[in-house]
Amino acid sequence: MINRTIDEKLVEQLKEKMAEGLLPQWVITDPDIYELELEKIFSKKWQFLGHETELKENGDFVTRWMVNDPVLMVKNKKGEIKAYLNSCSHRGTQLCTADRGKKKTFTCPYHGWSYNLDGDLVGIVAGNKIYGEEMVKDDWGLRPIPRVESYRGMIFGCLDSEAETLEDYLGDMKWYFDMMLGRSDNGMEVIGLPQRWVAKANWKSTQENFSADPYHVQTTHRSTVEMGISPEDPLYASYGHQIVMNDGHGLNVITSKTGRSKSAFQSMPQSMWPMFQRNLSEKQADIMERVTVFVGGVYPNLSFVSPIHGTEGEMHNYLNFRVWRPLGPDKVEVWCWFMIDKDAPESYKKDAYRGYLGSFGPTGTLEQDDTETWARIVEVSKASMMKNKELNYNNVSNYLMGFSHVKPDKDFPGPGIAYPTTYVDALSRRMHEHWLDLITKDTVKEVNK
Amino acid sequence: MSFSVSSQVSLEIKDQITNFLYQESFFLDNRKYKEWLELLSDDLNYVMPMRETKEGVNVDNISEDSAFFDETKASLRTRVNRLYTKSAWVENPSTRQRHFVSNVFIELGDKTDEYKVRSYFLYKRSRGSMVETEEMFGQRDDVVRLIEGEWKLVSRRILPDQTVMSTMNMSMLL
Repeated sequence: MINRTIDEKLVEQLKEKMAEGLLPQWVITDPDIYELELEKIFSKKWQFLGHETELKENGDFVTRWMVNDPVLMVKNKKGEIKAYLNSCSHRGTQLCTADRGKKKTFTCPYHGWSYNLDGDLVGIVAGNKIYGEEMVKDDWGLRPIPRVESYRGMIFGCLDSEAETLEDYLGDMKWYFDMMLGRSDNGMEVIGLPQRWVAKANWKSTQENFSADPYHVQTTHRSTVEMGISPEDPLYASYGHQIVMNDGHGLNVITSKTGRSKSAFQSMPQSMWPMFQRNLSEKQADIMERVTVFVGGVYPNLSFVSPIHGTEGEMHNYLNFRVWRPLGPDKVEVWCWFMIDKDAPESYKKDAYRGYLGSFGPTGTLEQDDTETWARIVEVSKASMMKNKELNYNNVSNYLMGFSHVKPDKDFPGPGIAYPTTYVDALSRRMHEHWLDLITKDTVKEVNK
Repeated sequence: MSFSVSSQVSLEIKDQITNFLYQESFFLDNRKYKEWLELLSDDLNYVMPMRETKEGVNVDNISEDSAFFDETKASLRTRVNRLYTKSAWVENPSTRQRHFVSNVFIELGDKTDEYKVRSYFLYKRSRGSMVETEEMFGQRDDVVRLIEGEWKLVSRRILPDQTVMSTMNMSMLL
């Protein structure tokens, strides 16, 4: 195994800068840093695999990726969700290439080894005696993803068998998931397949852009202001709270200048409000009545948005989750899921889906402009002036918004550290400090000693 | 199974419909989006389902429950209007794009003055000073109708051949 190290001096410099709210830009697309991220973050932390409604019946499966690890996720005969490395245990060939489907056994096209829904090796072509003596099939099942756990229907996997539980990892975020995913009796459902496309971007930038940066809304998405859809007030996306949580998680609870939303419960049908109130605590229901947009993320690479979107005069709410799957320092495959309350009327679901297509995902008019800024960051991050590790050029990104004067609001009803505006870099700073802690853990090479 | 190459559509009609498709591409490639909107019937149905990888032979791999576009003329007008603002950054500076339309096959439609039109598309795009170019390709199943002497697009179903799109966004109209 190759052990990667970082110079102690460099780590100190990075930490000093980060403590001042500054992140040297070269770290965004540096290839060595990227390798460290794969090893120290993506091999250790929980990553989103899918939602339980994507596996409705026993035998249903989907294929997913945890960065470079192919995942085959199935519902077995007992109705349990299992996830395996999607690779034949014989010669390592990718076992299943379909996006989704229903099966009892998976057969490798190379030599014909086949596996059941429990990952057991159940068939060897020409019998296993050809191996000399009878092979112990139990030794050659599919390798399970070390940890698979779910919360409110959201299934996550983790490559580190020693990792803390998913619930501990989500921590304070559970309270907010309870609101977004648990407001209806029957929870949420995924409609269709996730949209997938490859963007020119670094995963840290997309996670930050989506989860922690409502400040970009007034400029990146200015076209909606020009069209009269969004307000002229440049502070319009700032009203509400930014909440910083454990492990680099966080979200923005965006309301409006009055602190209230024009439409209670994010324009969900009024017939559903009593159900929401029944399923939510008083504090949660209060937030749900006032919120316009929830937008946030679970570190390292899951982001979500629950907006109110107007489609031809009608307002709709939906929940969009997305995984930023790194394909390299400057490439991200985006996986974008649409979710809606199972209990919502069918016509509402359809309209909300059309509203989603108009705003988010690759064809969404908001997200299109985001892709442009993601690309513009990676296109310049390899510059020599950015790469200068002594920082003579001071090529740092600025995370100073609210650094000195925005103090937490102790009266905010939810868990986490809540700042009384979303135009603040508190969550971005926390994410990057956390990133630095993770990639430097056990990798610092002592120099000059 | 026999296949008749006679489609019962006159050369004159075929010529008009093919020209219609070429003119449409020209409008899209030259930022004449408002002119493009004029080619759409008021009851337009414009969809782009996703493609999925499925196991098996001769299985339908169009994913009917998943989409990139599901538009009406009104929602397309909103998209078009946005492209005339100063701050639709994805198209400002504007991209250079070409819609190559080929393999046009025209049949009689279900109603008078309606025709079913199948075509292939190859979409290419260049942005900024990037040397890499982007592309997308697939099939379009259209219905066109002659309304008061003018050809209009009544419905379009765009079938991409990729399951994971390789363009950094899908700001283009197809």
